[in-house]
Amino acid sequence: MAELFVLDKASILERLGGDEEIFTMMVDMFVQDVDSNCAALAAALASGDPAALHREAHTVKGLLATFSDESGAAEAGAVEQLARDGLVEGQAEAVAGLQQRLREIAAVLSAG
Amino acid sequence: MHNVLIIDDSDINLTLIKALVLKLGDCSPTLFDHPLAALEWCRSNVPDLVIVDYMMPDMDGLKFISAFRALHGRNEIPVLMITANDQKDVRYDALLGGANDFLTKPIDRVEFSARARNMLSLRTGQKYLADRAEHLSVLVDERTAEIREREKELIFRISRAAEFRDPETGAHIQRMAHYSQIIALGLDLSLAQQKLILEAAPMHDVGKIGIPDYILLKPGKLTPEEFEVMKGHARLGQELLKDSRSEVIQAGAEVAISHHEKYDGTGYPHGLKGHQIPLFGRIVAVADVFDALTSERPYKRAWSLDDACKYLEDGRGKHFDPMCVEAFLAGWEHVLDIRQRFRDEEMPQI
Repeated sequence: MAELFVLDKASILERLGGDEEIFTMMVDMFVQDVDSNCAALAAALASGDPAALHREAHTVKGLLATFSDESGAAEAGAVEQLARDGLVEGQAEAVAGLQQRLREIAAVLSAG
Repeated sequence: MHNVLIIDDSDINLTLIKALVLKLGDCSPTLFDHPLAALEWCRSNVPDLVIVDYMMPDMDGLKFISAFRALHGRNEIPVLMITANDQKDVRYDALLGGANDFLTKPIDRVEFSARARNMLSLRTGQKYLADRAEHLSVLVDERTAEIREREKELIFRISRAAEFRDPETGAHIQRMAHYSQIIALGLDLSLAQQKLILEAAPMHDVGKIGIPDYILLKPGKLTPEEFEVMKGHARLGQELLKDSRSEVIQAGAEVAISHHEKYDGTGYPHGLKGHQIPLFGRIVAVADVFDALTSERPYKRAWSLDDACKYLEDGRGKHFDPMCVEAFLAGWEHVLDIRQRFRDEEMPQI
């Protein structure tokens, strides 16, 4: 991932209608779910099943977009597209990049 | 309170959408992270709005919508589908497959609230129309029942008017009508036909209104000429009742013209034979004759039940349709009940 994640709380809050309560709830859930999301990505990659990888990459794309991480969402979107075309092999590096991104965001969110 | 069904395999999305739904106010969210479980829930619950993610394991949003729409009564319930921005093809498929609108990820509260409110307004309108249609339907049923009751009463009163000029009584009309119904039941006619003959049979002698008193009320035997005039009551009855738009009165016209026909072709006015005689005419012939025989008149004693039954049996294939006689005798217990219920000295309600 080229760029570091920068938390753009203002844009996220704008999407949530300025609702801090929902924002906090989502941050908590993201941090809570980060391990299982990384594990699901790894499992999909290991299974060699393009449909599984397509689905998990799609989920991660949505998660990253929710936290206004446009470049991260774009990377996830690229994995999703390739998996949709049936490609799993050769995506290990990109998947590792997504896992790293998820943990990076979790760390930033946890730091508050 | 609107029941909002939310289906998404991502917990964070479920939580977010639930929170947004609660912010709408007057909504109760039901959450599922698996579409098949949600579909099962929909078999016995009716949501007011469905919010469903497109990409889910086992069953995607398109397949869910299609299965949901196939459930009875779920055809018009608003469905919002959540898709990513770049899934234009999916959106087209969803529109064709029954989605009403879309939400794009990441979900934006302003857009979400506007679209969800629109869908709920649509649902409120649907429910209002459905309630109104049901209310109107109940109202129409009530009014129709009132009119039918009035029609029944008028028929009975018109039939009574004819009978007033005759030694026969109101109870005779009731008995012969119910006997006719017993025969219809024994012949396996539908409930609607049984009800129809019960209501139409009282009109069998309505044509007697047009017969002069000196013939109708003559104590002794009628001369052949007088009998010819008397026979005219069948045609007169039909004249009075024919061409009605009411099914009951149409049946009454048929009964009036045909209840003096005989199975062997020796009856009047047309001398019809066997199944040329309308079924209702064949039924009423048995019911009317049996009651006339077993009733007391100023000029005759009442026959015993055994003698009257013997008369019917002897008349099989001659005066009467054998099937109608058989159906009447098969309902003997009911015949006795009706004799008890409608006695000459009393006038029970219809």
